Amino acid sequence: MDFTLSPEQLLIKDSVARFAAGDHAGREHWTTFAELGWLAIGAPDDLGGFGGPLETLLLMEQFGRGLVVSPYVSQVVLAGTILRAAERIDLLGRVVEGEERIAVAYEEPHARYDPARAATTAVRDGDDYVLSGTKVRVLDPTTAATLIVSARTGDEITLFAVPSDAPNLVRERYAAEDGHDAGNVRLSGVRVAGSTVIGPLGDGLALLELGLDHATAALCAEGLGLMSTMLEATVEYTKQRQQFGVPIGSFQALQHRMAEMFVELELARSMAYLAATTLGEERDPVARRRGISAAKVQVAKSGRFVGQNAIQLHGGIGMSEEYKVGHYFKRMTIVERLLGDADYHLARYLASRGVAANAAAPAAVA
Amino acid sequence: MDLAFSPEERAFRDEVREFIATHLPPDVRRKVQAGDPLGKDDYARWHRILHERGWVAPGWPVEYGGTDWGPVERHIFQEEISYGWAPRLLPFGLQMVAPVIIEFGNDEQRARYLPAIHSGEEVWCQGYSEPGAGSDLASLQMSAVRDGDDYLISGTKTWITAAQWADWIFVLARTERSAKKQDGISFILVDMRTPGVTVRPIQTIDGGREINEVHLENVRVPVANRVGAEGEGWNIAKFLLEHERTGTAGIAGCRQQLEALHELLAHEKIDERRLHERVAQVEIELEALAFTELRTLAAESAGKRPGPESSILKIKGTEIQQAISELALDALGPYAEPHVAPKYFNYRKTSIYAGSNEIQKNIIAKRILKLP
Repeated sequence: MDFTLSPEQLLIKDSVARFAAGDHAGREHWTTFAELGWLAIGAPDDLGGFGGPLETLLLMEQFGRGLVVSPYVSQVVLAGTILRAAERIDLLGRVVEGEERIAVAYEEPHARYDPARAATTAVRDGDDYVLSGTKVRVLDPTTAATLIVSARTGDEITLFAVPSDAPNLVRERYAAEDGHDAGNVRLSGVRVAGSTVIGPLGDGLALLELGLDHATAALCAEGLGLMSTMLEATVEYTKQRQQFGVPIGSFQALQHRMAEMFVELELARSMAYLAATTLGEERDPVARRRGISAAKVQVAKSGRFVGQNAIQLHGGIGMSEEYKVGHYFKRMTIVERLLGDADYHLARYLASRGVAANAAAPAAVA
Repeated sequence: MDLAFSPEERAFRDEVREFIATHLPPDVRRKVQAGDPLGKDDYARWHRILHERGWVAPGWPVEYGGTDWGPVERHIFQEEISYGWAPRLLPFGLQMVAPVIIEFGNDEQRARYLPAIHSGEEVWCQGYSEPGAGSDLASLQMSAVRDGDDYLISGTKTWITAAQWADWIFVLARTERSAKKQDGISFILVDMRTPGVTVRPIQTIDGGREINEVHLENVRVPVANRVGAEGEGWNIAKFLLEHERTGTAGIAGCRQQLEALHELLAHEKIDERRLHERVAQVEIELEALAFTELRTLAAESAGKRPGPESSILKIKGTEIQQAISELALDALGPYAEPHVAPKYFNYRKTSIYAGSNEIQKNIIAKRILKLP
């Protein structure tokens, strides 16, 4: 066992940390990311790619620490993992170069985060497919020229690369609470060529699950960064803030709360690393799902505890829009639920252990 | 970064597993597996077996009979002890007083005490807490008054595990009344057979009898039995408390208990969804803590001494141990009483001993977060 970072990993961590600590708010940085090679993490060598889940973790933790608002998780980790697994090197190459932006549209009304519950249909018509359905909570659709859309081709799910300006496709954009770009996508008879199918026909769910597991691990790393900053800010604030003639950080009630926040943060840190390790080593999809879902359950639980108490211990100032901790709390609240909240992932974890979704059948437990 | 165990480490694990499987007396294994209390002889037999194999004191320097294992091997060894349902040896001699004698004692003391601790011939217990000094250990009142080449020691120590079996007790006693209560405390070794030592059992809420009150009345102890300088006791106590915290997480043991709980759920055909969710939540937290322990080990391997971070392991490890005993209680429902309730009652001790979890939070607040 060796927990030390390689010189290359340290370099990535430091360069991302410098960026995240700087003035990055409200501006577009995609060209910078491409130049620094950050879009190539996890891509194959011949595309100039390097690293994998651990490098993604190092980057995302720093993004969390600095509250970087970026479509990195959706357009690089999620889309990139799917394209790589489907061996769509043509598209992936353009993503790595920063030439093309691709978002993934998989969530649907009433699907409760589950990619298997897609109702959108793709009906064969000659050499084409015609797609109809509604996708919700699509991450970062506005800047994407292409949307990877999941749709039913019979019983199975298939992924399609759909131009986002295709006729009969409507993007309804909204600004999420955390300032990220989000939207719903309505497809009412969108005609695409058969060549837009990503990966083998009917293999869409496996590709999505893989992509979502990588993206979930990245979100766990971001959550870790968010929590770290919230705890540091809280400790710093309670050392400065005077009431009853002393710093409020000297009160045991507050000290114990912060000690508990620290314990939660460290458990989340362990699970974020464990998630990255699982992705790097685990080839069995059931074990991979179990590891990722366990991580998301812990990060969601820790994140909620650290976030709520960061606001509480700051008192009134924590409620104020002009102070940073509230913004971290809002992003943490969304990270908690993106790609599945704690309840969803706990159910997925149990399913991976053979406990069925509704009443746990005794046979399944044995 | 490479988070997997190396081939050498895996081979070591196999070797330990094989040894335990072939050498642990079956009746002792059955008791551990059933959670039944162990007798003095059960501990002694397993102690002798590990002593003969040279594995009884992994943490000691090699010249005193330790192994040359690094933190990772020691961790693997402890895991296999749990997985093989072997007893954890009593820590008071091997893991507590021995490191103190090695670090603070003199050559005569090392020669006199270490071999009998190593062989298991002499059993030790720990005299720290007093009726009026628990978490506030520094307010202890036991007095050691100099009389020629001896001390005359008087006072009461309490919550002492294994005192009914022990040949020796190490105590913190006040050799001087000074302004600062942490000063004037000394670390002294007392032969339990000395006149004036009495042991009174304390029955615990689970019906068990593992702790005692030990009363000392004008007990005459040679000054040569003091470890370290006069007044150095508080330093030694702090050294020891940190030593005590590593390994209290009991992660491998928790994995065993969870496995037993799964078997119970399956066997009893218990299908309440909520119970399964609670088990899963504890399981996930345990994985998080196990990885946290590995990170601590890696830091130790890189040369860092176990620091205040071990408070995380103490707090969360004991919370998880308690949570599992609680789940077993709830799983068995109306049938819990004769089987798992005593364990649930007994495990309330875990968040109290070895520095209560509240004290651990103080340590995190002061030493890691640097709060005022």
